[in-house]
Amino acid sequence: MRTLTKSLVLGLLGSAALFVAGCGAALPPKELLDARSAYKTATEGPAAKESLVELHGAKQALDSAELAFLEKGDGQETVDRSYIAVRKAEFASAAARTAVAAREKKEAEDEAQRAQIDALKKTQAELANAKNDLSATRTDLTKTKEALEREAAARAEAEKRAAMALADLQKIAAVKKDDRGMVITLSGGVLFRTDKADLLPPAMVQLNQVAEALVRNNPDARIQVEGHTDNQGQAARNDELSKQRAESVATYLKGRGIAADRVTAVGRGSSKPVADNTSVEGRALNRRVEIVVEPPKESK
Amino acid sequence: MTKLFLRFALLGVSVAQVACAGNFPPPSERLSSAEAASRSAREMGAEKDPKAALYLKYANEQIDQSKALIAVGENRRADEILSRASADAELALQLAKEQSMRAAAKEALDKLKALRAGK
Repeated sequence: MRTLTKSLVLGLLGSAALFVAGCGAALPPKELLDARSAYKTATEGPAAKESLVELHGAKQALDSAELAFLEKGDGQETVDRSYIAVRKAEFASAAARTAVAAREKKEAEDEAQRAQIDALKKTQAELANAKNDLSATRTDLTKTKEALEREAAARAEAEKRAAMALADLQKIAAVKKDDRGMVITLSGGVLFRTDKADLLPPAMVQLNQVAEALVRNNPDARIQVEGHTDNQGQAARNDELSKQRAESVATYLKGRGIAADRVTAVGRGSSKPVADNTSVEGRALNRRVEIVVEPPKESK
Repeated sequence: MTKLFLRFALLGVSVAQVACAGNFPPPSERLSSAEAASRSAREMGAEKDPKAALYLKYANEQIDQSKALIAVGENRRADEILSRASADAELALQLAKEQSMRAAAKEALDKLKALRAGK
């Protein structure tokens, strides 16, 4: 039995040796080597993922070429089948590259579509913001217009009041306008005795009218009372007397309803004459009290 | 006697050859298939791509070669060559498709870049 097994093994080995020796005589043709190489390249490339069906076709073509070589050696049939196997392997690789390109195209198109949608949304948002801005601007414009109208009305009212005040005061005193504001000039001779600062009774009547007009027409205006003298006597005395007279008038006005914080008094002495001091008439004009009503501040 | 034997022998070989050729019909179907693949490749623009154009050229040459073989009754060889021609034509077609798809992908990418650049 052992002898039989040994003989069988030897026989098989001998057959294998003869088979190998026989094949060794026919080396694979270049076309088959190319086919093997092309298939290997295909399996190592994107075809392994992207084109499995085509790669399977390439494998079948290569197997067919290998079979032809085993059965019939390196003849024309092996060459033909190898030739076809090379094409099939390259076909699989090309199909894979095509699939990759198709995917890249789709991804780019999808991304472009998303970018277009985003751009559209951005434009819509900007449009909405612009509409809101426009609406806010319109509201501001309306408010500004209303404020301007109110301001114009207030200014017209103030001007009207000033005109009325001027008209009222012109009835009782000399009234003029200069860069200080409205100036009501009261003669010193009417208001005071010589070298005195106490108001005479007629002066009080006149000042009552002035105070009434100021309260009615200029309730918010600041008022400065300025005392003036002629140039007779000592300047220091004139300064003091003019100051005392201005304070007398200011105090009286405060007593007639004009807010104390709105009224100030200053003495100018003989420093600001309005007429020639060399004549009696001129000196009489220079002895005076001026009530300066400052123009109302511009509303902002 | 010897000459007569030789004549019969040659006649027998010729008859055998004709009989063999007669057993393999003309590969009309494979020829049509190869020609269709070649036409498709050309229509897909294979002639514009150098590599595809080369395989298309191989296919057409082999189709012509097979037609000549069919004309002289070499149908089996014509059939084998047509198999090669079909493989070449199909590869040419696939390469043309690849080029077309690559161009389309590039166009899509360029469009995307332009969009991103805000043009």
